[in-house]
Amino acid sequence: MSELATEPRAVPALALAGVTYSYPTAATPALRDVSLDLSPGEFALLAGRSASGKSTLLRAVCGLVPHFHGGEIEGRIEVAGIDAIAAGPGELAAVVGYVAQDPETQVVSTTVSAEIELPLEMRGDPPASRARAVEEVALALAIPHLLDRAVDTLSGGELQRVALAAALVTRPRLVLLDEPTSQLDPVAGDELIWLLRRLNEEWGVTILLAEHRLERCLAAADRVIAMDSGAVAFDGDPASFLTWAQDVDTALETPAARLFSLTGIEPLPVGVRDARRTLASTAAVDGGGTDPLRTSCTFSSSTSRRQQPASPPKKLREEGVRPPSTTAVGAKNLWVELTRGDDERRDVLRGIDVTVKPGERVALMGRNGAGKSTLLRTLAGLQESVRGKVEVLGGIALLMQNPSDYLVRERVGDELPGEAGLAALRLVGLEHASDADPRDLSGGERQRLALAIALAGRMDGDALPGLVALDEPTRGMDRARKDDLVGLISDLAERGAGLLVATHDVEFAAAFAERVVLLGDGVVIADGPAREVLSGGWYFATEVARVLDLPGVITPEQGAEVLHKATERG
Amino acid sequence: MRSPFAYVSRPRPLQSASPGAAVVYLGSLIAVAFLYSNPIVLLAVGLALVIAGRLAGAHSAVRAALWMGFTLALLIVVVNALVVSRGETVLARLGEWPLFGQVDVTLEAILAGLVLGLRAAVVMVGFAVYSACVDPDRVLRALRPIAHRSALTATLVSRLVPVAAADAARLRDAARLRGPGAAPVGRASLARRLLAGSLDRAVDVAATLELRGYSLDSRRRAAGATFSGSEGTKKRFTRWVRRGTPQAIGGRRSRFDRRFYAVGLVVLASAIAGKALGADSFSEYPTTEIGSGALTLAVAALIVLSGLAPLRRKSHRRPSELRWVRNTHATEFDRRAPGV
Repeated sequence: MSELATEPRAVPALALAGVTYSYPTAATPALRDVSLDLSPGEFALLAGRSASGKSTLLRAVCGLVPHFHGGEIEGRIEVAGIDAIAAGPGELAAVVGYVAQDPETQVVSTTVSAEIELPLEMRGDPPASRARAVEEVALALAIPHLLDRAVDTLSGGELQRVALAAALVTRPRLVLLDEPTSQLDPVAGDELIWLLRRLNEEWGVTILLAEHRLERCLAAADRVIAMDSGAVAFDGDPASFLTWAQDVDTALETPAARLFSLTGIEPLPVGVRDARRTLASTAAVDGGGTDPLRTSCTFSSSTSRRQQPASPPKKLREEGVRPPSTTAVGAKNLWVELTRGDDERRDVLRGIDVTVKPGERVALMGRNGAGKSTLLRTLAGLQESVRGKVEVLGGIALLMQNPSDYLVRERVGDELPGEAGLAALRLVGLEHASDADPRDLSGGERQRLALAIALAGRMDGDALPGLVALDEPTRGMDRARKDDLVGLISDLAERGAGLLVATHDVEFAAAFAERVVLLGDGVVIADGPAREVLSGGWYFATEVARVLDLPGVITPEQGAEVLHKATERG
Repeated sequence: MRSPFAYVSRPRPLQSASPGAAVVYLGSLIAVAFLYSNPIVLLAVGLALVIAGRLAGAHSAVRAALWMGFTLALLIVVVNALVVSRGETVLARLGEWPLFGQVDVTLEAILAGLVLGLRAAVVMVGFAVYSACVDPDRVLRALRPIAHRSALTATLVSRLVPVAAADAARLRDAARLRGPGAAPVGRASLARRLLAGSLDRAVDVAATLELRGYSLDSRRRAAGATFSGSEGTKKRFTRWVRRGTPQAIGGRRSRFDRRFYAVGLVVLASAIAGKALGADSFSEYPTTEIGSGALTLAVAALIVLSGLAPLRRKSHRRPSELRWVRNTHATEFDRRAPGV
């Protein structure tokens, strides 16, 4: 027997056996007979639709379930050998770090250094070792320059890193992350995922990451665990997961995998690099001297509706009525200043020119802090400009990032009384929920109710003049709910409204937008057809665009069409 | 939108100073404002605090506090003029008023109100500079060994109050964005919604504290009593920290500490001594008399000068030093004769 064989087996970083859990007063269990093991040093991705049990599983592992939330639990959970059901979250804090979806809700100190130091202070570490641990974790996450900053001056990406630092400072063996990139722009999101990968490789930290945007993190993961209705539906490597998703739940497919599914190419790609390699080795696209992919890409002559200039909306066309104006909203040479910190006034918008036509669907994109929300707030009259002009015809309905802010009463019908309210509820498909308590609605329904509140009284018969603006409407949404939202946006545009949607979600923008306005540091750095803007870069490009690198090809369907043509030619 | 009084970290002496030094310095000036009634000294304290605040970069905090302070001072002047009829110089007889009785507006009552208002404004500026320049986390961490749970509660409040203010601003914006056909939102509804949101925030914070190990009894261990390690061994923490070992980030000292301690103590000692020697001579009634003797002026001048304590000296290198830096590989002759 070798020496290795005589060594004791490593304690799993996480072991769950037959875990079933129900929240207090819940009719059905949130977790059903969940069993899984995570080895030390694994990077596991937790996939699944909304309400499939991902967050509950993470909360059970860190001890919040059942110690904080109550409820009934069966089975066994061990984290690094510690019984998580018997021990509370305090005892588990030494071996588990937890980062929630919204970092704003898990920051308790005023300054960054105090926030990172707090877990060590709670643990009773002496000042010298606290100072060293804070310095080291700050260096590891590249945030030493933030240590003296107040937490309310940080951007979303910076705050997420601080939350991660607070979770890592005790050097836990297991780190749990609940959709940490949902509020980040594509650049910050990618940076965070690869930072996790580096920590996993260099520090040996075991990672369990719940995420909806699988295309962003699948390539970094060693293993995927898919949840469905509280149970583990799949547990295996990323490539096998894609094959499973193709057969069982296409809403979990990544865009590149969808592209390959539609084209019939195998194996399904885990990431952009895989996809490019597979395509490069496929005879169909190896045209011997010429590039059939590029010759098959006929973006300029395509008849796709997305790239056509906005035509009068269908409802107005049917009624034979011309739109009252060619612009729903127009901003000319718009300058906006905001105070940052103390007395530091900064130009957030610098001479912006933007117009949106009735029936046009426009995505407003850019990094965190580029000025997207400020532009929407200025158009809606919440923020004053220091220079420039805003022309609005027919009013603006703005849905801000947190729909719950619009809900102040305990009955849907009380929020939207009268015929105008009922019409708004009908518009968003919630006329049946008039007697419901807004808090009992699902996340998607609450968002539609908030939109109805913003739209109430603005309708002219069935038509909807003016602009409908949405600020980051897809935070925490799975793909099925995003598809519902795309349908709602199309319906609003058909009724004559101009749509301006600020989003970080490139795939969502590709699905709904005919035009993309890209902001960078307060100026418009790109404004053009979605197919052009979303295929012309790296960060602000869809996964399909990055795989194929062809002008005008941004969705799996467009990519499949090009590949089919290439196959026919090749 | 951030409050103008919110703490902002800046590389300035007052922000770099340890909490104790900053509290001694600003506290001594505020104490003088309570100790003295002489308007010359009060004006000097106000001027010192404005200078200190501006040198520390807290322009918005000073401006906002002055605005609020003068508004409050005006209110005090009006109320004092209507309520107090003492004084020899009657400016107006306003007859019988309900509740007030006979109202005579006197010059002395107006001046007394001005002094009271000036004191209120000065104290507000002092606390505004403190709020904007002293890191609350470091102050509370200094207090934790004395009152762990109270200090943590205060930390949470200092964090959650601005968060609640931001929530309120968001709710007001959402109320403005409601369509004309939606039910209007009154202040009561907004307040109820804000309260519900604050409770949700509190639950989130409680969960975070649990995850950070709040339920562990850290105070006993941090205080250095005993610690049960994983093998059950007993260790003492207090002996681990020796002179020269790195200090906790919150407890770090600054090279400006001595300056602030010294200035604060000199101001306080001089003010007490001056008061004992009659520098605070001031009487409101029956006629207003403001002492402006040499002692009063000396105390006032000292206090105004103390406002310069947060001044950061810029390093000025002499030409020879500059040349030394540029010519690190130069010959010995070059270093001794930079002009050559």
